[in-house]
Amino acid sequence: MSAFERVTRRSLLRGGAVMLGSAMAAPLLSSCGGGAKSGNAKELTFWNFYGPNPKADAQSKWFTDLVAGWNANNEVKIKLHYLPVSEYIAGTALQTAFSAGQGPDIFLLSPGDFLRYHNGHVLADLTPYLKPDQIADFDGGVLNTRKVDGKIYGLPMEQEPLAVYYSVDAFEKAKLSEGDIPKTWDQWLDVAAKLTTKDQFGLLFETIPGYYQNFTWYPFMWMAGGSAVPENGGAGFNVPGVHQALKLWQDAINSKVAPRKPQGDGAGNAAANLAGGYVAMQQTGIWSVSQLEAEKKDFKYGVFPLPVPDGGTYTTDIGGWAFVANAKGANPDAAGKFIAWALGATDAAGVERGRQWNTVVKTNLPARKSVQEAAKAAGAFDKPALKVFLEQVVPGGRGEPRYTPEVYKAVSDAIQATQLGGVDPAKAAADAASKIDTFLKGYKGAAML
Amino acid sequence: MQPCSDAPRVAPPVWTRRRREALAGYAFVAPDLLGLLVFVGLPMVLAVGVSLFSVDGFGGYTYVGLDNFRQMVEDAQLWQSVKVTLTYMVTFVPIGFVVSLGLALLVRDHFPGVGLVRTMFFLPHVISLVVVGVAWQFLLADKQGAVPALLRPVGLGDVSFLGNPALALGSLVAISIWFFMGYQMLILLGGLKDIPKEYEEAARVDGATSWQRFRHIVWPLLRPTSFFVLVNSTVGAVTGLQAFDLVYVLTKGGPANSTSSVVFYIYQQAFTFNNDGYAAALTTVVVGFLIVATGLMFGFTKGGRFDVG
Repeated sequence: MSAFERVTRRSLLRGGAVMLGSAMAAPLLSSCGGGAKSGNAKELTFWNFYGPNPKADAQSKWFTDLVAGWNANNEVKIKLHYLPVSEYIAGTALQTAFSAGQGPDIFLLSPGDFLRYHNGHVLADLTPYLKPDQIADFDGGVLNTRKVDGKIYGLPMEQEPLAVYYSVDAFEKAKLSEGDIPKTWDQWLDVAAKLTTKDQFGLLFETIPGYYQNFTWYPFMWMAGGSAVPENGGAGFNVPGVHQALKLWQDAINSKVAPRKPQGDGAGNAAANLAGGYVAMQQTGIWSVSQLEAEKKDFKYGVFPLPVPDGGTYTTDIGGWAFVANAKGANPDAAGKFIAWALGATDAAGVERGRQWNTVVKTNLPARKSVQEAAKAAGAFDKPALKVFLEQVVPGGRGEPRYTPEVYKAVSDAIQATQLGGVDPAKAAADAASKIDTFLKGYKGAAML
Repeated sequence: MQPCSDAPRVAPPVWTRRRREALAGYAFVAPDLLGLLVFVGLPMVLAVGVSLFSVDGFGGYTYVGLDNFRQMVEDAQLWQSVKVTLTYMVTFVPIGFVVSLGLALLVRDHFPGVGLVRTMFFLPHVISLVVVGVAWQFLLADKQGAVPALLRPVGLGDVSFLGNPALALGSLVAISIWFFMGYQMLILLGGLKDIPKEYEEAARVDGATSWQRFRHIVWPLLRPTSFFVLVNSTVGAVTGLQAFDLVYVLTKGGPANSTSSVVFYIYQQAFTFNNDGYAAALTTVVVGFLIVATGLMFGFTKGGRFDVG
């Protein structure tokens, strides 16, 4: 009897069943361990979208130097894990990792996504690792959206306010000067109309649905007196102010002074839109100063604060990412110490690290007073654009809010329905408010701010 | 010594050639079948399991029975997505088929350069769908894109193909047809070439027109191939790459949810809202729908064999 003849259909099926059974058991076994700590207690993973990245730019180097500095003096090592920014923000890697119980020990988190992770009980309390003077060093209310019940769950590395950038050439061609810079919403639409040509739109607001679009629309909601969720006993989303804010973005589209689709990867990209001649004015953040310097060095532009509605009060949205630690990571204690050292240290080296990140490799407003003072002393805010941000844009601003995905989506649907769908602002606001109110009735997580 | 006269007879052989060949066939298929079971079958079973739980996305599971399925009834956004997917399907599938068949008929007969023409029609399919999305984003850019520039002389330069809710889904359909027409053309071309030339030649000799030859000879004999293309196309429209990749790259489900397909919506539920249980339930229903739809199509058409001997 040959060897081949010993293989029977039954034995083959039995072998297949064994392999199948093993395969089925594997994910079940791994999911059983989901609640336990995973990973290496002596080597912490730090997921981020800056470094080490293939371009090996200055921002990447800052991260690799940061980690090298820590690793040189500590037993527990940090290992960077780079993800492209689009994959990090909109991709599935981070969420999938947490679902599988394999989330990183340290990662970057924006206020917009804070509640998702906090309500999922994965953020570690960083308060024990910070001295009172270090906590006090954080400027204004920058920690507010990272705090719950007095405990700090994330340390911000930067502040990124929104403003309006404009093309000097476009203004000149339309025979406009600095004196024509709009201060009210009506003036803004008028100026945008004058700047609109066959090949160029006058103004750009984000039109792609997502967290970024919401982030850029919130200041208009606030200026007009609205809020996504009731604040300080005030009204909620369905108020005249919100209708006004939705109408501003709708009018910009309907009057054809703003495009229905931005260029590049969105309205936060000034090089592709403003400097590319696609639009003459663009709402974007302070990060565009360094982007334009790196990619469109010769482009002439100015910056002005967001215009204010009649009867409204100025404000802007100040975003920015934070370092957070995974409470279920391999070593949250070491992670907490690293974060406090990296972003909270008030010694000369710590302040210099902050200055380098915020005003040398990037253009941000530092999150800490000590770093701001050091940056001013070094002349960082002598640049015209940054000077406008520091003196005109930031005062009166408020931190990027933290809303749950459900509230974010309701607001997003309202923005999209009015801006691009032509729906009446009052109806869109009412629909969204209804969803938000329904959700809030059953909500038990941390406060939305 | 002579053999004993009462020695036992030799038993008939257990392994016949036919049995060994069948076994060899199973052995060759086993690795692929195993892969299919592990990477497709197993996730499906697990998804059904997860659909009975409320999952927070961070390792927490709470049994909720059929609540995730009941939630679907009241989910207005879901029904909007169903509408989007059905609209996409009923436009992409038939139009894509007609375009592909037209191309296949066009390049069926030999003419100088026919190979090059076939290649050019197939070329879009070779590119990654994500790259296709980025390329069309440039072509369709408001005011500055190549398409608006071409349309400006006829007064359509201000049309926003991806930014207008009334046009965005249609734009995705058009791009999808452009992407898949070459692939489908190739399959249909194979089917056309399987048809014996003698049939049409005989009909031509008898005076049949081009249309009559197509209607009564080519079309009926093309039915098995057509069936394959249509099934493939339908499944792809509901859950294939274009149901997600193009939406993700070009529109993110916008503007105003006008391109939020069911698959994109499932993605949002899983990765934006952490509603893994609900996403799994939706996936279960989608798979169920496809199984039923495909089963019905197979049943009505005898597995695509029709009445061809």
